[in-house]
Amino acid sequence: MQHSPPPAARKPPDRLGTVVVALILLALAVLGANIWLNMRGAGVTPGFGFLAQTAGFDLSENLIPYAAKDSYARAILAGLLNTVLLALAGLVLATVVGVLMGLVSVSPSPAGRVVALLYVELFRNLPKILVLLVLYVLAVRGLPPVREALSLGPFHLSNRSIYMPMFEPDPSQIWLLLPLVAGALAAFWWGRRARRIKWETGRELPVMPVAVALLLGLPMAFALLADVPLVPTIPAFERFDFAGGARLSVQFLVVLLTLGLYHGAQIAEVVRGGILAVPTGQVEAARALGLTPRHVTRFVVLPQVLRIVIPPMINQYVNLIKNTSVAIVVGYSDLMSVSGTIINQTFRPLEMMLITMALYLGLSLLASSVMNRLNEALRARSARSAP
Amino acid sequence: MTTSKILMSLTASALALAAAPALAGPVMDDIKAKDSLICLVSATAPGFSVPDSQGVFQGFNADFCRMAAAAILGDATKADIRGVGFSDSMKTIVAGEAHMGSRSITQTGTRDADEGMAFVVTTFFDGQGFMVPSALGVQSAAELDKANICAEDGSTTLLNIADWFAAKGMTYRVENIADKTARLEAFFSGKCDVYASDVTALTADRQLAPTPGDYVILPEVISAEPLTLVARPDQALEATLFWAFQVMLNADAHGVTSANVDDIVADLAQKPADVQRLFGTDAATTDMAAKLGLPQDWAYQVVKQVGSYGEVFERHLGTGTPFGLDRASTLNAHVADGGLMYPYPIR
Repeated sequence: MQHSPPPAARKPPDRLGTVVVALILLALAVLGANIWLNMRGAGVTPGFGFLAQTAGFDLSENLIPYAAKDSYARAILAGLLNTVLLALAGLVLATVVGVLMGLVSVSPSPAGRVVALLYVELFRNLPKILVLLVLYVLAVRGLPPVREALSLGPFHLSNRSIYMPMFEPDPSQIWLLLPLVAGALAAFWWGRRARRIKWETGRELPVMPVAVALLLGLPMAFALLADVPLVPTIPAFERFDFAGGARLSVQFLVVLLTLGLYHGAQIAEVVRGGILAVPTGQVEAARALGLTPRHVTRFVVLPQVLRIVIPPMINQYVNLIKNTSVAIVVGYSDLMSVSGTIINQTFRPLEMMLITMALYLGLSLLASSVMNRLNEALRARSARSAP
Repeated sequence: MTTSKILMSLTASALALAAAPALAGPVMDDIKAKDSLICLVSATAPGFSVPDSQGVFQGFNADFCRMAAAAILGDATKADIRGVGFSDSMKTIVAGEAHMGSRSITQTGTRDADEGMAFVVTTFFDGQGFMVPSALGVQSAAELDKANICAEDGSTTLLNIADWFAAKGMTYRVENIADKTARLEAFFSGKCDVYASDVTALTADRQLAPTPGDYVILPEVISAEPLTLVARPDQALEATLFWAFQVMLNADAHGVTSANVDDIVADLAQKPADVQRLFGTDAATTDMAAKLGLPQDWAYQVVKQVGSYGEVFERHLGTGTPFGLDRASTLNAHVADGGLMYPYPIR
């Protein structure tokens, strides 16, 4: 079907590179052996058996069921999931903030440009841990204590958490993933069809309302038909705190806001650079064609900016994932916090640091490989559409 | 249950000490030769040991250095009190560069097993406790079911809380905050209902509240932290430290203080036999002085120059101080008041 690639030209052997790699490997081997021997000498056998032992401590919040009687391994998993949740939310928030501020920073409005400049310079030039502490202190002092929580129907806001109604968790709810995935696939198919129809006939079909209806409607219908229990619980105040419903802790929101603002400032600069790199002729040509300013941005500028900014954005995203570890300061039980507590208890710093490093590395590599795929896809598409 | 265990182990170790023949040893000789007793304290522990405006260490722990100097050298000012960090202080004692340490070291099995260091007598029974705003109206930790608790991230506090609540069949929500500023802000702003830490740390941290009187420390102590005097191993020195401390406890039990000890000694014949045995010229303490190589009036000097245990406690930590620790509500109360301070018989 395709031509086989031409045989690669024989390269001369890279002697220097081989020697450098060999030296690095040797140094690592000596280091590893030395650590192992010293630990043996001190009567400590390196190993990961301790992961099955009882953790004995609780976490501030957990996405999977976790209690102090569970194992260290489960504590690490719970901490990892907290880190992943924070990183995902942080990526979305920082991107939204960064793109908006980047657009404002090149807008024709002088006031907008000043605001964007102040924002970028403020958050780019402060240590993020300081930003985090300031926001945290402002939040716990500024928001009302739980007994004087601001209430709006079943929603309550205090310096502890945001409380909201939720469905009572039930194991059978896992089946709702089926209609949810089906809904997502159907929405995706509908979107592509709408685009094709618009391409061919120019007729606009509603996309968002249909997608929302599919994503909500299918699981609802499934729950009704299959009798999946969806019992709502509403937060109600007890002796010390609200019970029932769901909650978003203030520490999570504060760390999220810190990451969003801090990396938003850096992403704004990346986006501004990307916009400035789009030739002005493109914008002028688009205007000459009669596109509105909004459409110029949406269909001419942003698609080109996207291709330019993806490589520096990979860097930002990986930094953001690593920076979720500041959460430890204000008591959000992330991977770093769990790892530190386990080290203090088990005195197995080496093993725990290896695990923690491997997990952060995995997360960062995953994020950058997804972004690289996106980059390649965009380049392939632009290569196709180029004359 | 735990209390009686501590008491029993204390009694056992004290008996072992008391039974040992007391011979003047090399460390004791060194103190006398130098006419100075090198005693290590923590450099920054408000209430326990902090330098005053003249650079002299003052505080609860520093006073036990003075107790030793008064007993051995007859002069409390001959204590050479030095502020040293925690892990360095143990190394310094093991290396023989100091005679003793009085710096809130928790006596644990592995530490006591080290032959370079001898734990002598517990001067302060600390333990992990809970602080709550008095507005909550909580009287006991047993009422804390479903409370929000602030504690230091990564600390053993987290484990003690988890164990204690599990044993009581109660649940809680933890706020494991690494940064101290953030942790205290969270507690003082009501983000947590409860602040968990060592009782002494709680009393010190309470001073940082906008209104310290708005917070109370609950009576329950959920972990054992016996803060103990450490000596370089030397039987005579160890016995002297142990019994000088017992003199302070006995003085406390009989209401003898540095202020009234002169009047009591002047009128000794009218006093109870226990008091006579403490300060008499032909008493148990003079017999001990001869065997341990101490000044004949060592017990009087300890009480006169340093004071009774209760006096030292009130001076640095008590209700009249910024710490406002109510001794009667701690484990450091006299045994008759439900505490662990049990004066051994001096006879």
